[in-house]
Amino acid sequence: MIAYLSNLATQVAIFGILAATLNFILGYAGIFSIAHAVFFGLGAYAGAQIALLLVPDVVLACIVAAAIAGGLSLCLALPALRVRGEYFVAASLGLQMVAVTLFSELKPLTGGIGGLVGIPLPTLFGVPVGVLPVALAALALILLATALLARGSFGRTLTAIRDAESAAEALGKNVAAAKTLAVGFACAGAGVAGALYALHTSFVNVESFTMDYSVLMMAMVIIGGTGTLWGPLIGTVLLLSLPAALAFLPFLPATEVGAVQQIIIGLAMTLLMIFRPAGLVGDLSRGQTTA
Amino acid sequence: MLFLQLLINGLQTGAIYALTAAGFALIFGATRIFHFAHGTAFTLAGYAFLFAWRADWPGWAGVLVAVAAATLFGMAMERFVYRPIQRHEGSFFTVFVAAFGVGIVVQNLIGLLAGRGLATVDTSLSFGTEVLPEIFVAPILWIAIGTAAVLFAALTVFLTRSHAGVALRALAQNPDLIRTYGLSANGLSVLAFAIGSALAAPAAIITAMTSGLNEAIGHQVMLISIAATIVGGIGSLRGAALAGLMLGVAESLALQFVDTQWAEAVSFLVLFAFILFRPSGIFGVAAAR
Amino acid sequence: MSAARGNNEAPLRCEGLARSFGGLQAVAGVSLALPAGQVTALVGPNGAGKTTLFNLITGNLRADAGTAWVRGQPITGLKPWQVARLGVARSFQDLRLFTHMTVRDNVLAATERSAWFWQPGGAAGRKRRQAAAEAALEATGLASLADARAIDLAYAERKFLSLARILAAEAEIWLLDEPASGLDLASRMRFADLLRSATRRGVAICLIEHNLDVVAELSDRIAFLDQGRVIAEGDPQSILRDPALAAIYFGDRHEPASAAAETEA
Repeated sequence: MIAYLSNLATQVAIFGILAATLNFILGYAGIFSIAHAVFFGLGAYAGAQIALLLVPDVVLACIVAAAIAGGLSLCLALPALRVRGEYFVAASLGLQMVAVTLFSELKPLTGGIGGLVGIPLPTLFGVPVGVLPVALAALALILLATALLARGSFGRTLTAIRDAESAAEALGKNVAAAKTLAVGFACAGAGVAGALYALHTSFVNVESFTMDYSVLMMAMVIIGGTGTLWGPLIGTVLLLSLPAALAFLPFLPATEVGAVQQIIIGLAMTLLMIFRPAGLVGDLSRGQTTA
Repeated sequence: MLFLQLLINGLQTGAIYALTAAGFALIFGATRIFHFAHGTAFTLAGYAFLFAWRADWPGWAGVLVAVAAATLFGMAMERFVYRPIQRHEGSFFTVFVAAFGVGIVVQNLIGLLAGRGLATVDTSLSFGTEVLPEIFVAPILWIAIGTAAVLFAALTVFLTRSHAGVALRALAQNPDLIRTYGLSANGLSVLAFAIGSALAAPAAIITAMTSGLNEAIGHQVMLISIAATIVGGIGSLRGAALAGLMLGVAESLALQFVDTQWAEAVSFLVLFAFILFRPSGIFGVAAAR
Repeated sequence: MSAARGNNEAPLRCEGLARSFGGLQAVAGVSLALPAGQVTALVGPNGAGKTTLFNLITGNLRADAGTAWVRGQPITGLKPWQVARLGVARSFQDLRLFTHMTVRDNVLAATERSAWFWQPGGAAGRKRRQAAAEAALEATGLASLADARAIDLAYAERKFLSLARILAAEAEIWLLDEPASGLDLASRMRFADLLRSATRRGVAICLIEHNLDVVAELSDRIAFLDQGRVIAEGDPQSILRDPALAAIYFGDRHEPASAAAETEA
């Protein structure tokens, strides 16, 4: 039971980071990415390789993962600067699909379909540590950072760009730089979550970085409430307890739990958008921006 | 010879892409709704055909069921999802998430009902005969190209000659004008969804008989449709259809150099290149910003 | 016609700016100088190219030909945000407020130019920006609405918010696209006061305005635009009394022969 709870808590912390960072670009900058799992994956592979080849130091793994995911986020940022929302969603959809192919094919880096196995237990400066405290600390840090950035001038800049990009530009704001930074920050955060995930499960493969996971992250943000601090975290807890709740349904075969879960998520997303677009938390004005 | 064979395959894929992309472009052009569940209409049509075939229904009944499934789905989306959202000033984001959610529900329902993974309809139509040394052509190729040609001709006549078709094209420019002419913008919007979604049905049927379906194929269809719409130039139906054809050929020809799993990567790279270097598309004039 | 060079050069001037869309020559070689401390009104019939001219100056559109200078520095080819940082502020006909932000945040955002995670200048800089924002709110009469969201404002208040952003940006050149349209008399008086106190500080203002009464009341000079070119320039009285210009303005046009003359750049 303790092990179960500790595992759940670690998952919540890791996906909390993912939801919080996705919320940052989605809720404040109005950049809709369905490729967040790609950067989660990049971080996971990077962290795993660091642990396998060098040392399983959790901080080092996180830093390298953040650097790689943040750096490669330019793949996402570049189209975001060129086109408006609709087309950006398409580009991120394409990126997500191609990334899954890449993850399955680049065997030397990712281990292919089989993934990377036998990732050693994490240490911190040579001392063995559990992932849970580190993940909780990382979550706290990232929540703090997103809250500070969102409330400060950077958050104002992003919201201004979301509401009226041309006006923001006419006031001297370098829109391209702001968007690139926001995407870089969010993707670096996803990378950290990936490294923690790799060290937590000691095994990673492409299954965890598919579009289903991008959808899951998006659902966490949307169901919780975009553009709020705590909404994504609440969404994370809700959606991560969903499989456990479904397991209590006796008539449901274990193999179909995943599909049923996806159906519930999809239904929740659609119904929320029709009846309560702001999500569970959050004032109704948000999410209704005409971009 | 491989080149010629791939070109022929590409034309077949291209015809499918052109039909799907034109449906998407028609809906987007007339209603300005970014119909992110267009791939779902495709999926539903394909599986409706598959179920009819498995139940040993005659071919024409299968086609009818498929077209009905896609059309009804499109109309239902307009009526029950997009219209309520637009009533409360729905942003692109709201529309997208709602449509995406529907897509996920359908994808997983189909996974539950029809099983996950590849599903094909095997008929004699998809068996190739050697027309030239090492060149195989199946009757389905002619069906694909013929269907696409006939449907595009019909669509052109409809959009330029008929009252409703002209109104449909005008809808994008000025919804108020439509109202003063005594036409209902809501009715036209439903019509756009019905026709646009119906166009996905033949494409889905041909796909089911050739490369096969899977429950997640909607995402790929969406990617192609959007890519074709961007490459062809936003707002240009003909551009979208042509770009769809080109993407199909490009994907197929690329197989000369890469393995099949990279085919969709080709479309993505084309899309990416266009977004970066020519966001207004080949035929478009308006910037995509 | 063209600006005097040297020490008293106009803060903003342009020469030969041109831009066509397809076959339509929207702006056909406009030369204009905005002197410091004066209000220049751009007047002309619909489609004369007034807003296009603004877009060419601010870099929202690329010019086919011609150059613009801010204090002698060429700005052609710069991006809109770079032009803005040289001290050119503009308003939009459709305002483009940051709708879901508070009034105060709208104005604060105008003072924060850095797109980096934080603004330069530390605590002192923040204090200065806040003071500038509060002053702009005070001057536009929006101080009591500072915590309301932009989307909830009334029409005139929105117009003043768009002006408050420009005030707070502390620019020396203002390009205002129909800032006074639809304002009632009291609001117009307040608006006139705002412009006057700005010109006293040496701000060069260019405004597009359709209401000729407002033009007569506010402007020091008029540039009359028709079919993409400046066909007359001078003090308000002489321009507004010119019957030929009035005929063009009110659509009673005797088709001038020059329409198709300049299609090439």
